[in-house]
Amino acid sequence: MELFTPDFGLVFWMFVAFIILFLLLAKFGWPMILKNMDKRADTIDKGVEYAREAKEQLDNARSEAQKYVAEAQKQQAEMLRDAAKMKTEIIEQARSEAAVEAKKVMDAAKLSIEQSRKEAELQFRNEVSKFSVEIAEKMLRHQMQSDKAQTELVNQLLDEIEKN
Amino acid sequence: MLDAIIKNQMTKLFSSILAIFISALLMVPGQAFASAEGGHEEKEGLDVKEIIFEHLGDGYGWEVPFSHFYRIPLPVIVKAEDGKWFCFSSGSLTEVVVEEDEATGKKEKHLLPVIKKITRDGKDYEFIIAKVSSHKDKVVQIFPLSPAEEADVKLKADSVAAATGVALSHAVVPGYVLQDGTYYREYRTFDISITKNVLALFICVIIVTAMVMAVTRHYTRNGFKAPRKGMGFMEMLIDFVYTGIIKSTLGAKKGRKFAPYLLTCFFFILVMNLVGLIVIFPGGANLTGNIAITLTLALLTFIVTNVMGKKHYWKEIFWPDVPIWLKCPLPIMQMIEIFGIFTKPAALCVRLFANMMGGHMIVITLILLIFIFAAFGMAAAGASVVVSVLFTIFMLALDVLVSFIQAYVFTTLSTMFIAASQEDGHEHHDKDGEIVPDTVEA
Repeated sequence: MELFTPDFGLVFWMFVAFIILFLLLAKFGWPMILKNMDKRADTIDKGVEYAREAKEQLDNARSEAQKYVAEAQKQQAEMLRDAAKMKTEIIEQARSEAAVEAKKVMDAAKLSIEQSRKEAELQFRNEVSKFSVEIAEKMLRHQMQSDKAQTELVNQLLDEIEKN
Repeated sequence: MLDAIIKNQMTKLFSSILAIFISALLMVPGQAFASAEGGHEEKEGLDVKEIIFEHLGDGYGWEVPFSHFYRIPLPVIVKAEDGKWFCFSSGSLTEVVVEEDEATGKKEKHLLPVIKKITRDGKDYEFIIAKVSSHKDKVVQIFPLSPAEEADVKLKADSVAAATGVALSHAVVPGYVLQDGTYYREYRTFDISITKNVLALFICVIIVTAMVMAVTRHYTRNGFKAPRKGMGFMEMLIDFVYTGIIKSTLGAKKGRKFAPYLLTCFFFILVMNLVGLIVIFPGGANLTGNIAITLTLALLTFIVTNVMGKKHYWKEIFWPDVPIWLKCPLPIMQMIEIFGIFTKPAALCVRLFANMMGGHMIVITLILLIFIFAAFGMAAAGASVVVSVLFTIFMLALDVLVSFIQAYVFTTLSTMFIAASQEDGHEHHDKDGEIVPDTVEA
């Protein structure tokens, strides 16, 4: 049967055809296609990886931002609280300082009043003593107008000295 | 007459199945039908075997679409007995003879072989496509016989005819060819003609190259942007074979090394299978259903496997890991292994050949059923047209699937044979850290 006996001519040409096709494609076809397919697969892989990383970074950035916002809010609250505290402190301080100052002024006033009072007292005393001396002089002058009264007084004084 | 018209109708049938289908349904008696009825008494029934083998086999010319008798002439390249090379057109080996039937007035065409005579250096060389010869349908060189010799050959022919029961005009005497009632001594030329199959081979080479180059050109033009439509399908196929078969079996590094051979195999076989299913001119050559083609393909895998085989592969053949008594005094295992080297590619060869040839044969037989049943009358013919055409369409669709599967199977098995020859020792991981298959079954 012709169908089952290989024909040499056909084997020869098949060999030639296959070798031609193989050389053509092995040189110009397959390596480039496979290289490009691998390259594209790599690119896609990289793209996916990149997207995944970008998403991760975005998520990170978002959480970081939230963290910052929360921190800022915390700081704000703290600052407000501090400010309030400071306000009361300042008021308190001003009040106490004012009290001290007022006390000082009062003390000074008291002191000067006392001094003036003392001075006035002293002056008053001096005046009183001067008046009393003058009164006494006048009275003495009036009483010692007679000699007899003078002698009596001298005697009396002498008596007193003698007794001592 | 019956034969000729039936053949003519067959080609028409292939091309215009639908038209015949409708005409059969409407019970319009076609030409084939009428002639089958009329010609029944004149000639013996159709030679089914002859028709099948003519369609499955090779030829020196290629049928012009829809015409059985006119052939596209192809170059015949032969070496004569004295070592001289001759190249001439196959058109000069046949001629179409128109005969008129005197009784019915019908014209009938015959495609007959004629003697091609070439005179070179004062010597006559005669070639012919042998019909009644042991080299049927091949180009042979013929030499006229002396009257004494001729008488002797005729005597031999008589005894052959008597012994085998064939007609005297079909009795084959080895070494001689019968042409127009005369016996000649024949010499089977060394024949590397561009036959129908060879031309189809080169058409397939061009198709595969164009397909692959289209993808390559796409890459040079568009960088590595993914191709669309047809090229996308092509790339999908390449990826299917490369990733699915080659890379997964051989690993990335070795896969890359053997990929050009295996991918070429796959696409060449696929295209040859599919082109073989097309009925008219650029197709119609039963390439992968021809044992010469599959033998060459299997031989190439055999060469690649054994030439590239590593030390371990040869060690496994000549000193396999089996109990010593299986290999030492009597080389039982060695014999089995060496036998295996040859059976693996032989299986490849026969598997592809048988699958593709079987598909073609079933389709032709289904179509022939119409003409066989035509002899039983109109109703049988009409019914067989419907059934045959439906089955034929189904079979052709199945053959498209088989074409793909067989290309895939051939590539897969080739990859496995190569992988088996590429194993290094007992480490099952190669340098790339990829798993190399442990054992490979044929």
